Amino acid sequence: MADPKQAPHAFAGEQSLSEDSLYVSLTYDELDAAKAMARVKSPKAGAIVLFAGCTRDTFQSKTVTHLAYTTYVPLALRSLLAIAREVQQKHGLVGISITHRLGRVDIGEESIVIAVSAPHRKAGWAAGEECLEGVKARVEIWKEEWFEDGGVWRSNRDGGVGVPVVVGGTHEEDVGAAGLG
Amino acid sequence: MSTPKAPPGTFTLLYFAAATSYTRRQHDHLDAPLPVAALYDVLEKRYPGIRAKVLSSSALTVNLDYVDVDEEGARGEAGMVIKEGDEVAVIPPVSSG
Repeated sequence: MADPKQAPHAFAGEQSLSEDSLYVSLTYDELDAAKAMARVKSPKAGAIVLFAGCTRDTFQSKTVTHLAYTTYVPLALRSLLAIAREVQQKHGLVGISITHRLGRVDIGEESIVIAVSAPHRKAGWAAGEECLEGVKARVEIWKEEWFEDGGVWRSNRDGGVGVPVVVGGTHEEDVGAAGLG
Repeated sequence: MSTPKAPPGTFTLLYFAAATSYTRRQHDHLDAPLPVAALYDVLEKRYPGIRAKVLSSSALTVNLDYVDVDEEGARGEAGMVIKEGDEVAVIPPVSSG
């Protein structure tokens, strides 16, 4: 591992599932919107809608230093593919690509990129939004929000202040310095 | 980071997010077979307070399928049993995006 301060990565590169024109993946690397767009391009598609979710620098006016995501890889991929399939069928899409980032994500970087292609733009806009909301509600990925004084696990469901992060027998303060910081 | 294979006579229980913070572990190997209905009692004994703090707001999967713990409890003897080698996971409220 090049950076000893970095939390260990479960895998290198990308873990993905695909089916027909659906593609879903997880990666610790920076996300590439152009790649996502290229995956769904088609002569049958008159519209591509691209969504990028970025790391914001505050939560309820508290300064966020960075985020870190963990996941249950096989289950998250399965859920992502199920959502992609549902949205594609409902909106008659040509293709969908969903990639979620894992590990540390700094402020201003993307944590998720969704690209959908549709014959016409209206279906594309609607599908893109529905796809994101489905991912946020269902996919087994967890966000640690790190502030200057420690980290909390966020919950999309309740939206409130999260549970403090403690990892593997290490005291919370140590994690910021030695584990995830 | 990959989880070691469950030793004979056990199953793997994976922890994520708040469950990891509470247990300070990524996983445990617990004795199999074990009825799903009995799992939370076993965990409460091992990690006092985990039921109220973590399990009550979490879901459970067995071999990547969601299982309704209350429903399995209500089925009594006919309830689902976790077998040797199974992969079980505590799934706290998710927060992607």
